[in-house]
Amino acid sequence: MAGGERLLGGLRAWTWQRVSALYLLGFGLVLAIRLVATPLADYAQWHAFWTAPPMATATLLAVVSLAVHAWVGGRDVILDYVRPRSARPVALALLGLLIGLAVARFAVALLAALG
Amino acid sequence: MRFSVYRFDPDRDDKPRMQDFDLELQPNDHMVLDALLRLKQIDDSLSFRRSCREGVCGSDGMNINGRNRLACITELRSLREPIVIRPLPGQPVIRDLIVDLTQFFEHYHSIRPWVVDNRPMPEHERLQSPEERSTLDGLYECILCACCSTTCPSYWWNPEQFIGPAGLLQAYRFIADSRDQALDERLDFLEGPFRLYRCRTIMNCTEVCPKGLAPSHAIEQIRKLQFGRSF
Repeated sequence: MAGGERLLGGLRAWTWQRVSALYLLGFGLVLAIRLVATPLADYAQWHAFWTAPPMATATLLAVVSLAVHAWVGGRDVILDYVRPRSARPVALALLGLLIGLAVARFAVALLAALG
Repeated sequence: MRFSVYRFDPDRDDKPRMQDFDLELQPNDHMVLDALLRLKQIDDSLSFRRSCREGVCGSDGMNINGRNRLACITELRSLREPIVIRPLPGQPVIRDLIVDLTQFFEHYHSIRPWVVDNRPMPEHERLQSPEERSTLDGLYECILCACCSTTCPSYWWNPEQFIGPAGLLQAYRFIADSRDQALDERLDFLEGPFRLYRCRTIMNCTEVCPKGLAPSHAIEQIRKLQFGRSF
């Protein structure tokens, strides 16, 4: 049932914010533990660490999670504080652009590293 | 006892001002409402709503020393001087301590505050077990004093679109009622980013409710129901 549910309406946004937060928390903890347990000595190790398929996949998911989390959070701030209401679509578009560019930048970096 | 009271008469004043009083209290003056009635004897133009004087009608909700309370059940001796009395925050001021709660009541009416049952009328009453009735405890006692909604930052920022803690508590009162048959429609109505989901669980509402109710708990229950039916 999705009466009144637009793109990322109420419940969906609320759920995704928590799902992405849980994933980021897990990812952050695992990353911290791994880096503390086996510190990376040089660039070769650093490169190998990040481009190993499990790590690269998990990191990609983390970036996507962060983008979703940032979108929901930023959207809530805009919907709360931006006045007049007609300025909201503009602010939301800018937010989307900012997040999109950040994700694209990461994608470029990851492809370069893997490529 | 010293008081500082918000005064604004739109027919006379350009802008609001605070008026200071020093009041000689009588032995039987215990509550802020008693003091306000004495202040009115000094300055007859002071305006405020009041009715039951026992905390059940919700008329005299106002901001006392920075916190929304009912004047008739707020003890004077619990307050630090000077006692600062202001109208409920964020609402248009009609005069002095009287605010316009039209928007507040529109939100209340929008959630359809009645039992919806379009089935044929039963021969007897619509029965409800004591357990079913107990799910309404903590919800039906709301006196619509507006202390909660007017202390909610999300309601301050979006009063036209966010229903507010009082309206949402009442929405849950009918969602939880076993006699109501419109659960899906009620949950549908509360979907979208504004009606319920401006709530950030700040919980000012629960902290301030003069009847000890918990709008944030009611909102949590609605979220749980909406989440549960999404899969």
